Amino acid sequence: MKTKSTLMFVSLFVILGLILAACQPAATATPAPEPTQPPAPTTVPPTDVPTEVATDEPPEGPCLIIGALYVGSVKDAGFNQAMHESLLQVKENIPCVEIIEAENIPEGPDAEKTMQTMIDQGAKLIFPTSFGHQEPAFALSEKNPDVIFEHVGGYMMSGNFANLFGKPPETFYIMGAAAGMMTKSNKLGFIGAFPIGWSVTFINAFELGAQSTNPDAETIVTWNFSWSDSAKEAAATDALINQGVDVITMHVDAPSTIIQTAEARGVYSIGYQSLAAQQFAPEYWLTGVGFTLGGTMTWLTQNVIDEKWEPIFLRCGVADGCMTIAPFGPKVPQEVQDKVGSLLEDLKSGKMAIFDGPIVDQDGTVRIAVGSTLSDEEMGNVDWFVKGVVGSPK
Amino acid sequence: MSLLALLGVLSSAIYSGTSLLYTTLGEVISERGGIVNLGLEGVMLVSAATGFAVTSVTGNPYFGILASMLSGGLINMLFGYLVIARKANQLASGLATMFFGFGLSALIGAPYVGGKIESLPRILVPGLGGLPKQYTFQFQFDLLIYLVVPAAIGVWFLLFRTRWGLSQRAVGESADTAFAAGYDPNKLRYQALFLAGMLAGLGAAHLSIVYTRTWKEFMTAGRGFIAVALVIFSKWHPLRAIAGALLFGGAVAFQLLLQASGVNISPFLLDSIPYVLTILVLMAWGGTRKQSAPASLGRVYRGSE
Repeated sequence: MKTKSTLMFVSLFVILGLILAACQPAATATPAPEPTQPPAPTTVPPTDVPTEVATDEPPEGPCLIIGALYVGSVKDAGFNQAMHESLLQVKENIPCVEIIEAENIPEGPDAEKTMQTMIDQGAKLIFPTSFGHQEPAFALSEKNPDVIFEHVGGYMMSGNFANLFGKPPETFYIMGAAAGMMTKSNKLGFIGAFPIGWSVTFINAFELGAQSTNPDAETIVTWNFSWSDSAKEAAATDALINQGVDVITMHVDAPSTIIQTAEARGVYSIGYQSLAAQQFAPEYWLTGVGFTLGGTMTWLTQNVIDEKWEPIFLRCGVADGCMTIAPFGPKVPQEVQDKVGSLLEDLKSGKMAIFDGPIVDQDGTVRIAVGSTLSDEEMGNVDWFVKGVVGSPK
Repeated sequence: MSLLALLGVLSSAIYSGTSLLYTTLGEVISERGGIVNLGLEGVMLVSAATGFAVTSVTGNPYFGILASMLSGGLINMLFGYLVIARKANQLASGLATMFFGFGLSALIGAPYVGGKIESLPRILVPGLGGLPKQYTFQFQFDLLIYLVVPAAIGVWFLLFRTRWGLSQRAVGESADTAFAAGYDPNKLRYQALFLAGMLAGLGAAHLSIVYTRTWKEFMTAGRGFIAVALVIFSKWHPLRAIAGALLFGGAVAFQLLLQASGVNISPFLLDSIPYVLTILVLMAWGGTRKQSAPASLGRVYRGSE
């Protein structure tokens, strides 16, 4: 009898454990904004990024204390590393600032405590870098009106709370164009974490880019339901390659497992989040995109120091230096590199129009009519795939 | 669904099931000796971090695997000290071990996050060299995969064909009786736990060093719990554990295949298949009349005066 109750307990515990394990990786390092009603985006390209500042002898003590929060490790070769390196660049550009960093800060009440500690240490500018840091940061901003919060990837705004992020869809379009030229099987793979609006938009942009160079290219999608379950990422990579996919890209926290699995099986990969991902695929690296927000963060920091800071809903892309295309891998032919180059030119000159209608979804229904396009707000709420994507968007 | 796709599911199942199978085999041994270790998740995490760290430092994955096994064994010794020497409750001690493992693994692994390591090569199954590339693609496995079924047979042999195994099972059924028959239950249980820890370490090594080639906090993502469930599924038998690990790994691969085939089912539902399957199996097996659980599983052996 006793064994039986032990067994019962073990079973219950295992089930509980599974539920917990399922809930655990909710820590979303990748800002995945799902704005319900974001304020009208005012895209202000920070053209006047200061190249040389604070040439004067630094006064006693730091000119500004900055607090930065990361949801994961700053060496993850993923989103957190990209954020950390951006902050390091701020320090390089404005040597008189002091930066307090905190890694592995879960989304939730802990984040608020960590930020409060930073404020207690004199921080006047806080960069909460994970999407789920937004709510606790916003709550704190109301209690500390003299502290400025620049959230990465969110949508909330107030007098001392603003946010910034890159423009991943346009880079995914360019990556898709490169992938379309490289594929021999006409099958591209995309590993997503959760079917959220932004991820769906990235996938649509990727497929539209691929179609622009290869009308037969299709993108096969699998969802992992975790931002960071490496073993599942490996399994998904295998599953896609077994389906005939020969170019893989992703929207997860840290793509090293996917890239290494693809490399081991001789399949091209396209990185996303940090430029550091390239080291994991010495042979089959195609190209990739990383967040390089250092210049923009420097500009924001300088504004805070000069007391010129204003809350702006800031989205900046490759043209503004906020995102950077990684160097090409050794197997990428010149014509693909030239194509990426010309697309970048189009982008910078404003000629690129990714979501201009007509665009039809998987069922053939027209989703974007001729003459209209997808606004930034709508991009966060997309729940349909363009024609050519294999998989379910919800 | 083509033959190729189904072969792909099998291939993926073998890959993702390997770490589960090693861990399950270890737990089968310790539970046969009467000790249930709910701390496996923590043991695996410490082993995965240590193995990755050592591989990163030495540049040699074999050293990493060895370190992973040793650290698994050592953590289990700590757990053993609690439940054998201190006679603490096994379930509570297991939980404590798990949380200890969470913290310790994060500490050990922190300097190596994002590192790039040497891994084991993938070797084609002998005799398949003549097949087309898309087939041979699916059957390139690493050394740890080739060794996992022999390991299961080895554990079966150890438990059911050796004197040590007999005494181990005797202790698991009734430690007092085993003591009366001249065995030392405590010593046997320490031995079982060390072996179990080493096997969990092997499983963790496959996960961090070979399969994902990465270290992340909480990277086992519940696989330690699944292993505990698989022990019940396999009815404490090492050979049935092979089927259990393949079934779970296969369910993960199969739902990914369904997603990638574009079937019109919500991916949310598909993703839960392996876990629903685990729960269903626990329910079905838990209800069978003929229990095969060791009779004194989970009981503290107070010693016989």
